[in-house]
Amino acid sequence: MSKIEINHLTVNYTEKKKNFTALKNVSFSIEEGEFVSVIGSSGCGKSTLLSILEGINNPTEGEILINGEPVTGTGPDRGVVFQHYSLFPWMTARKNVAFGIKQVNKTASRAERYQLADEFLEKVGLEQFKNKYPSQLSGGMQQRVAIARALAMDTDILLMDEPFGAIDAKNRTILQELLLELWENATPRKTVVFVTHDIDEAIFLSDKIVMMTANPGRVYREIRVPFERPRNRAQLVQTKEYNKFRNELLAMFYSDIVSKIGGEEVVL
Amino acid sequence: MMNTQTKSSVSRSGSFENNKTEKSKTKSEIFRRYFRVVHALFVVLMLIQFLPDQLPTETYASYVIWFAVGVEILTLVFSAFIKKPAALNLFVDIIAFIYGLLILWTLATAKFNVLKAALFPPPGKVFWQFIGDYDKIFTNILSSVGIILQGYLLALAVAIPLGLFLGWSARLGSAATYISKFLGAIPPIVYIPYGIALLPTFRSVSVFVIFLATFWPVLAGTMSGVMNVDKKTIDSAKVLNVNKITMLFSVILPASLQQIFIGCNQGLTVSFVLLTSAEMIGAQSGLGYYIKNYSDFGDYTRTIVGLIVVGIVIVMISFLFNRIQKFLLRWKQ
Repeated sequence: MSKIEINHLTVNYTEKKKNFTALKNVSFSIEEGEFVSVIGSSGCGKSTLLSILEGINNPTEGEILINGEPVTGTGPDRGVVFQHYSLFPWMTARKNVAFGIKQVNKTASRAERYQLADEFLEKVGLEQFKNKYPSQLSGGMQQRVAIARALAMDTDILLMDEPFGAIDAKNRTILQELLLELWENATPRKTVVFVTHDIDEAIFLSDKIVMMTANPGRVYREIRVPFERPRNRAQLVQTKEYNKFRNELLAMFYSDIVSKIGGEEVVL
Repeated sequence: MMNTQTKSSVSRSGSFENNKTEKSKTKSEIFRRYFRVVHALFVVLMLIQFLPDQLPTETYASYVIWFAVGVEILTLVFSAFIKKPAALNLFVDIIAFIYGLLILWTLATAKFNVLKAALFPPPGKVFWQFIGDYDKIFTNILSSVGIILQGYLLALAVAIPLGLFLGWSARLGSAATYISKFLGAIPPIVYIPYGIALLPTFRSVSVFVIFLATFWPVLAGTMSGVMNVDKKTIDSAKVLNVNKITMLFSVILPASLQQIFIGCNQGLTVSFVLLTSAEMIGAQSGLGYYIKNYSDFGDYTRTIVGLIVVGIVIVMISFLFNRIQKFLLRWKQ
């Protein structure tokens, strides 16, 4: 049994009396401890898919099973990092993490929660900023706090919706490496579903890439990433295999988009 | 580090600069701090006290002198400690305004008697009356502020949870918005006759009217705040799997706090207008009563004392309110 099974998921929206299919018959599965990236151009329904996994949206048809149980709403088995607004602006970094811990661990005392929060803030390199409010932190620091909270909640599954999408290139690579390090060193490893539109990010992080296509949103390809772990970006990007793999993926990505739109300008 | 350094240099040389900077700079700094128009005005105010009085009655000039000396000492002390030049300017300008007013007032009443003496008492008499009536004024402040606090806090305690609940439940919320718009549009003062019929004492009627005056704006502010909370904020709480109570009080409440404060502020302003008006009509205590009662007897010295006290009380309460608001919203930049 897979950790997550997505079975024939279809989502229809009605907007201004027009029906709109965001996802059509999407099926794939994710194993325990696997890092899976969902990649695709905008409008392919990757974020809709994640919102159903999170439990804040419901599918029109089909279902998602986690450990064989259908998802009917949000649950303490899943931690989430959004692109924006994961943190509560009225709580300090520390309070934000401690608040997350409180929701999954009702028995921990206040002191225990804060201690655990401090531990995880240290892991993401923010021990000096623990008493700052999100508005006093940079975008990258805010995402570090959000990751610290998701990890501190110690859920089996981590759902990440373009968490580094709004971060500048330099900080994005730093955060990718941090995430990978934290994930690889944890035992047991968490199951991660990571939505992105950045191919390099997907290759560097994932065991498996699910490429989606738009209108209607469906799975285009599932590709296993053949590179050994632990991965070292600097070495990896120099290998022939990496470049070959990356070019294949890019070709797949663009051929799909071009065939869809017929050569018009594409906004990713 | 920086802070302590600056402080110690202030106490030693009376300036911002530390010891190494040239003397001329320190000099200009002292000049900027202590050579100001405000002190000239103080001297003028002192000097005009020695002009002969034109009034047949006592003018209590010594009270003006004591008051002004006290203010001047405070001004000098604050001048040494206020760090930001803009804040120092503001403070000194306000003091200068007070001195200017006292000079004109003294000249127009005690010294040249150009205003009607019965209607315009000299400033010294007002200070004298203020000190003489201190306990009476204090009791009346307590009475007024007590009524306001009671009605106001009661309204907050009911309106905020109710607004959270109504705003959060989508169906009730939209109906409640219209209903509260209708009921909130009725000026609370028109409830007074009905309140008098319903309730036994003036005090309970006042509390009731202040409750209504605060309840509707706070309810409306809370509901609109809740309904405008960013969906993303709600989603991030949902994915943390929070229960309903946590969602309402730990997420929705702080997220709509700014809007709630708008309602609270409105309620507070209206409450003062209402209470002082009501006290002028039917009360046996309170600041409105103090003013109305003595002006009925033609005691305009006490009327002016009352006016000044009402001003001071309202300014102090607004100040306190702003501090609370600033503290609770400190996470907004």
